Amino acid sequence: MKKRTLRFPAACLAGALALTACGGGGADDGSVTLKLVAADYGNKASNSTSVYWEEVAEAFEADHPGIRVDVRVINWNDIDSQVKTMIQSGNVPDLLQTGGFADKVADDLLHPAKDVLSPTTRENLVDSFARAGEVDGVQYGIPFVSSSRVLFYNKEVFSEAGLSEPPATWDDVREAAERIKSEVPGVTPYALPLGPEEAQGETLIWELGNGGGYTDADGAYTLDSEANVETFRWLKTNLVDPGLTYANPESTERKTAFADFAAGKAAMLNGHPSLIQMSKDGGVDYGVAPIPGRDGALESTLGVADWMMAFKDNGHQEQIREFLDFAYAEEHTLSFMERYNLMPVTDDTLERMRTGGDHPDLELFFELLPEASFYPLGDVTWDAVSAEIKQSGGTAVAGDPAEVLGDLQRKAEDIVSDQR
Amino acid sequence: MSTHTTPRPPRAARSAAPRRPSGIAARLGPLPWIGPAVALIVLVVLWPVYEMVRTSFLNISISGFVRGSAGLEQYRRLFDEPDLAGVLTATVVWTVAVVGVTMALSLALAQLFNQRFPGRRLTRWALIAPWAASVLMTAIGFSWMLDRTAGVLNTLMTDLGLIDAPRDWLGSPATAWPWMMCVAVFVSLPFTTYTLLAGLQTIPGEVYEAARVDGTSTWQTYRLVTLPLLRPAFLVGVVINLINVFNSFPIIWAMTRGGPASDTATSTVFMYQLKSSDIGLSAAMSVVNFALVVLMVVAFLKVSRWNADSKEEAR
Repeated sequence: MKKRTLRFPAACLAGALALTACGGGGADDGSVTLKLVAADYGNKASNSTSVYWEEVAEAFEADHPGIRVDVRVINWNDIDSQVKTMIQSGNVPDLLQTGGFADKVADDLLHPAKDVLSPTTRENLVDSFARAGEVDGVQYGIPFVSSSRVLFYNKEVFSEAGLSEPPATWDDVREAAERIKSEVPGVTPYALPLGPEEAQGETLIWELGNGGGYTDADGAYTLDSEANVETFRWLKTNLVDPGLTYANPESTERKTAFADFAAGKAAMLNGHPSLIQMSKDGGVDYGVAPIPGRDGALESTLGVADWMMAFKDNGHQEQIREFLDFAYAEEHTLSFMERYNLMPVTDDTLERMRTGGDHPDLELFFELLPEASFYPLGDVTWDAVSAEIKQSGGTAVAGDPAEVLGDLQRKAEDIVSDQR
Repeated sequence: MSTHTTPRPPRAARSAAPRRPSGIAARLGPLPWIGPAVALIVLVVLWPVYEMVRTSFLNISISGFVRGSAGLEQYRRLFDEPDLAGVLTATVVWTVAVVGVTMALSLALAQLFNQRFPGRRLTRWALIAPWAASVLMTAIGFSWMLDRTAGVLNTLMTDLGLIDAPRDWLGSPATAWPWMMCVAVFVSLPFTTYTLLAGLQTIPGEVYEAARVDGTSTWQTYRLVTLPLLRPAFLVGVVINLINVFNSFPIIWAMTRGGPASDTATSTVFMYQLKSSDIGLSAAMSVVNFALVVLMVVAFLKVSRWNADSKEEAR
């Protein structure tokens, strides 16, 4: 009797250990399980990106017996922290598709792109993106998808307010917003989302319009430059204080702004291509235009690329290469881009989408993409700095812009000095 | 009679002889029996605490990679954090306000439910609802009711003419705090009311009779008889609520995520926010939170002993 009681907790413990051990790759039969963690580009269950990856994984597994692909799709709000937890607890994925890569390079976690892509696949990547994936001259980030930002406006609301043209300068934006506020009550004239979801994007778009930005020519952070502070002063006095945008832009998320626009409740906002489908679904007659700057439309808009990266930890280099070559084939990338109205980063798919005539919606985006400005992606401190901007950058329109941006700059400098 | 002379039943005899407690078994005593529970506590309580403290001394990169020891660096950075003072003040205000209002309302509710009135059983059951529902669910429900564009509360208040246009209640700290406190009080009421109600029911009727004979007014009876005798239940309610409300994460996280920046964060939410930039720093904040909770638990134990002592004295 006594022995059995003693055995019971031991059995529990062994069971628990066995359960955790199952998390590892590789089974006895020599087959390998690749763990793929990816971001969710959908906005509801039915168009979740997990559907896409499951399809690719299934096709791949049928083609490559002996390699299993375990797909895990995580929404944008949680993916950073969940991946961090995975790495910290030693449960590292093989492949990760998300927004940034350079921080992982700093800790030497990633395979260089040339080790996990066949030459054909690598040459097929659009040059400017492949270069943006470099840290100190070596490419680690494998571009996966791209987009550029343009101004979306609701044509119906504009004509109700007696406006014929989309705004080209900041003053135009303010005047249009004032007209909309008085003529079309109940509609947010300009949707300014500066909440944690994507404060770093909206911020940069506006700062670019004033000749500002996150870094100087040498790559040092200039978060509180005069141009940037002025940008936020302008936003505060011209849009926020007169009530031409949300009451609290600093706690309004991008998804709220997009949903409002797609419901016809916002007249203007900066959006990326996935807003096209949302607007169509919502029956909104939308127009697109280059993003207004202080003195004229932006020549260089914000370009965003999301990245695929391969981790060294599990030693599955060969299998990763096979999977990436498979996933980067035109049929898959094209299907992904068309599913979410995003822009490709591979030459063949780009050519096909541009010349195929199937995507008149994306014309302006294609036109602006070559001149796009990026975040300082190749900087290994960018992810940490970006997290700080997301957390508190938006409060610059609520409090004192110089103070908020000054705090951020100090944090960024601390992060840089920690890194060295 | 015969039982005295007949030998022991063979079954008992068989088990008695070899069951002489051997050395090891005797020394183990009850350990095998409480072993599983101890193992469970070690696994799910002590080990995570150890890991938390250990993490707070580590330097972990933003990608989650452990770069080595950080010594006390994380604590130094935590106490240099410009937002920390505001967050701690907010935590104190939040805890005191929510617990204070909860106790006051619960006293009234408990008094009400202690009376006999038609439908008492039904209303007592209804009071359990906010307790039975998941706190996270309640908080999400409220945040949608307060939603700027689609919220029913906004629509209701606009229709009633209380406000002239829908407002973004949760967007700015000035309005988000009171609403979140309301939700926190709402979910704390059932437990507290039931604790006080239980306390009220232990007060013997004779005391009230004696008071009536002495000719006290209703208010005097309440102040001089009910409240002092309710003290044990009241103190238990206060301390358990303090710990609960201090730790209350889901309400704030579901309604504002502690934002904008950390303006609506208590120290628990702040800890979670720090996680996005630095796990080590966040662990240091957890350790501080943990220390605060331990302090409150010690206070709780003190209070319960005080309760026991005062009972002794009463005898």
